[in-house]
Amino acid sequence: METARKVSESSLTLAIDIGILDLKKAEFYETPGGFTGLRYEGKDYDRIILRRALPIGHPMEYISVADKDNKEIGIIRSLAELSEEQYAIVAAELESRYYSPTVHEIKSVKDKLGYVYMELVIGRDGAKYAKNCAVKDVSRNIRMLDDDRLAIFDVDGNRYIIQSLSGLDKKSLKRLEPYLF
Amino acid sequence: MSFCCPIRFEGETRMKTYIPEYMLSAFAAQGIDVSGLVYAIHADAVDKSEYMDVYIAVSSDTMYILYGLEKVVKTSGARRIVAVYEAEKLETRPFSELGELKSELLLSTGRLCSEKDGASKILLVFSIGFLADVERLLKVIKNIRKGVPALEDIIVDDELFCHKCGTRYPEPERKLCPKCMDKISITRRLMGFFADYRSKVIVIFLTMLAGSLFSVFSPLVGSKFFFDEVLTEGGSYYGAILAAILLIFAVRAVGVALNILYSYVLAKTVPWIVQDLKLKIFEAMQRLSVGFYTSKRTGSLMNRVNRDANNIYWFFVDGLPYVVVNLFTFTGIITLMCMLSFKLALICIIILPVAIGFFRMLWSIFRRFHHRNWVYSSQLNSMVSDSVNGQRVIKAFAREDTEAVRFAEIGGKQAAVDIGAFNIGYTAFPLIYLFMFFGQVVVTALGGNMVLKGEISLGTLLTFIAYLSMLYGPLEFMSWVSNWWARCVDSAQRVFEIIDAKPDVTEPDDPVILDRIRGDIELKDVKFEYDPATPVLKGLNLSVKAGEMLGIVGKTGAGKSTMANLIARLYDVTEGTITIDGINVRQLSLTQLRQSIGIVSQDIYLFIGTIADNIRYARPNATMEEVIRAAKAASAHDFIMNLPDAYETRVGAGGQDLSGGEKQRLSIARTILQDPDILILDEATAAMDTETEANIQKALFELQKGRTTIAIAHRLSTLRDADSLAVISDGRVVESGTHRELMLRKGEYYKLYKIQLEGLKVINMEG
Repeated sequence: METARKVSESSLTLAIDIGILDLKKAEFYETPGGFTGLRYEGKDYDRIILRRALPIGHPMEYISVADKDNKEIGIIRSLAELSEEQYAIVAAELESRYYSPTVHEIKSVKDKLGYVYMELVIGRDGAKYAKNCAVKDVSRNIRMLDDDRLAIFDVDGNRYIIQSLSGLDKKSLKRLEPYLF
Repeated sequence: MSFCCPIRFEGETRMKTYIPEYMLSAFAAQGIDVSGLVYAIHADAVDKSEYMDVYIAVSSDTMYILYGLEKVVKTSGARRIVAVYEAEKLETRPFSELGELKSELLLSTGRLCSEKDGASKILLVFSIGFLADVERLLKVIKNIRKGVPALEDIIVDDELFCHKCGTRYPEPERKLCPKCMDKISITRRLMGFFADYRSKVIVIFLTMLAGSLFSVFSPLVGSKFFFDEVLTEGGSYYGAILAAILLIFAVRAVGVALNILYSYVLAKTVPWIVQDLKLKIFEAMQRLSVGFYTSKRTGSLMNRVNRDANNIYWFFVDGLPYVVVNLFTFTGIITLMCMLSFKLALICIIILPVAIGFFRMLWSIFRRFHHRNWVYSSQLNSMVSDSVNGQRVIKAFAREDTEAVRFAEIGGKQAAVDIGAFNIGYTAFPLIYLFMFFGQVVVTALGGNMVLKGEISLGTLLTFIAYLSMLYGPLEFMSWVSNWWARCVDSAQRVFEIIDAKPDVTEPDDPVILDRIRGDIELKDVKFEYDPATPVLKGLNLSVKAGEMLGIVGKTGAGKSTMANLIARLYDVTEGTITIDGINVRQLSLTQLRQSIGIVSQDIYLFIGTIADNIRYARPNATMEEVIRAAKAASAHDFIMNLPDAYETRVGAGGQDLSGGEKQRLSIARTILQDPDILILDEATAAMDTETEANIQKALFELQKGRTTIAIAHRLSTLRDADSLAVISDGRVVESGTHRELMLRKGEYYKLYKIQLEGLKVINMEG
């Protein structure tokens, strides 16, 4: 068994280079136009595309970096390997691509003829605000991301995340329960 | 702050402008001359993890972006009202400073960018939900720059909200407010389907009313009459037990007979009405454009139509008749109760709502448990189906034990919920019945007291008790039938939506009909997008002369098939023109256009029927000889003759299984019989093995003779005979010319050719 594993590692797993970026040679920067750029191995990519390989489970690991023509330059194994200043640039770019408001409370849920109207409290702790949204086809648009996290997709295409269903207050949970799964 | 005048009309020219009142005052507070503003949208800014409410307004030469935070206060019955807007900063951007404006779709956001002199700049990053609004804003700016009216072809924001109650339409293009939907008029329209069956409907209602009349009178005869008049000394029919029993039986028998009669007539009428409805839906669906079927909201169109038709069917078969019966029964019983003893009737009327309230409360608890149970059951079911369908993979990777653990996990959760549901079920329902019985006990106790006091007779009391139990049914039914009705109306609305839908691609008012289509095709600056901000064709230019063959090469997703669909007018271009023989396809007769274009694509659809029927689909009157000739030309005849039923072999759903190559040859035979003037081959041989491809190529070569042909292919070898070639990349033609010219140019085509040649060499070496 042990030998079999070794063979497979040497033959396949190690044979394919997934192109992990050597972060010592990488410099992320913000362009004057507000885009994120990368200088890597002597090349300057003035507009890069960042995408998460594991956006739900590990949003800060395995980040694909592509040039403006969508050709992958390489992969960042973990943002933790970046310096503080570099981290801030990459994280800000990711955040602006993946922005999904966090839901803290569900004020009301009304089911009207196939559409579910929700009044949500979203935002950060310091600045919470109410948002009304309409959800159609709840079985598809209210769905669990993992055991405890839930995503709500409204008719406009916005995505709201409940970070912890078990951490939600009782009233909100009761309002949401008929539409779960 | 009111929202009374969202649309203003400006000056003598009555140029339409759109600025919601609340935005107008926010911009005015910044010292902007709001009289010059033309259009404004509400978006947000989500850059750098910060959230801001953003108002963007444009005048004839400037764009203003106002950042701030707004607090929305909702008042009942009115549209949302902005109470406070705390502006933080204003950006003023004259159009002269802005370059080409573009919106880009990111993953869950979008961004507004400007490009000028080779430099790009992000102006705003916003939530994806505002993409459509930003797109509209860009169109307004484009209109202003072009010098056409700013709001030409623009849906103003106000049209996104219900004018009556201010609720946002769940689907802007549907303009249907679930809150204000006129249920009555939809029901009336639905009832219109009954018009042709008027006499039967009258019979149904009369028999139903008569049936419920008999059931209402049944306790009166069975209890009051029997106890007070037959069994009580001094009664009018004292001792006439046999006659009384016969009367009781007769009353019940007539009631049952009426019920049978009404069910019989109903069963004979409603299916025809639903059939009429389904036929209307089906006819409407044939009229609609391809875009209707591919748009997201009609993803599961067939399921929806069936489910909606069934919802309507069951409401009319099961719901509506019982509404009538129950309403009549309820009114009849209450009236009779009041006539018998007003005091006791009053007690019943007080008890009933309490019983119903209690019943609904218990029911809602039970439903919650039931829902959880249902959730886990469906998870378990999908797991079982996953496991059955994936058995080969499970075994190949030796994952049987892991699968069993997964199953046990979900099964355990379901078992826990099951226990809860059983407990609730076994407790709730006996409790409900106990409470209902309690109502009867109260009436019996109070009524018994009244009997002892001589206020009412024993027969009256027994009749009351019988009526009380008869009242629960109608009341309970009425408490949830409104939801049922709402569901039926919603289904009806969706059905009517399909019936009333206008196709995107329509026949022109005065269509041009050509004697013969020669086949000169020209695409000029064609732009097209299926979804906003995701253009597929970005200014495509190409032409092909009559009788020539044009080969189209490009990567997957470059827009090749879209182009073919646009030529056949399955969709209309967003911008630019497509002409055939110098005439815009939008002006040509749609029937003639479609009959003149034959498309052989990778997607082959065979209808349920024989092979011969499928080949003659385009020309149903073709003779058998013509069918065989077409099959021979398509190299299909030999395999057809090897099938036991040959040309009469049934194919399509549930029919004979054919291989991809065989199906493709049938579709080519179908196109040969159609004899089109223009032929589009869209990756016709992409999924075939080399030998089948060679056979099909031969068939296609026959088909191409003397016709304008546009051949789209991955494999360049299939385009060797093309008179000219075009390479499409990212929605544009990046290269065109003959094979020789393109090879000499050493551009994209040369690169693709080399890659494929290298690939072939590797295969040969390995072989």
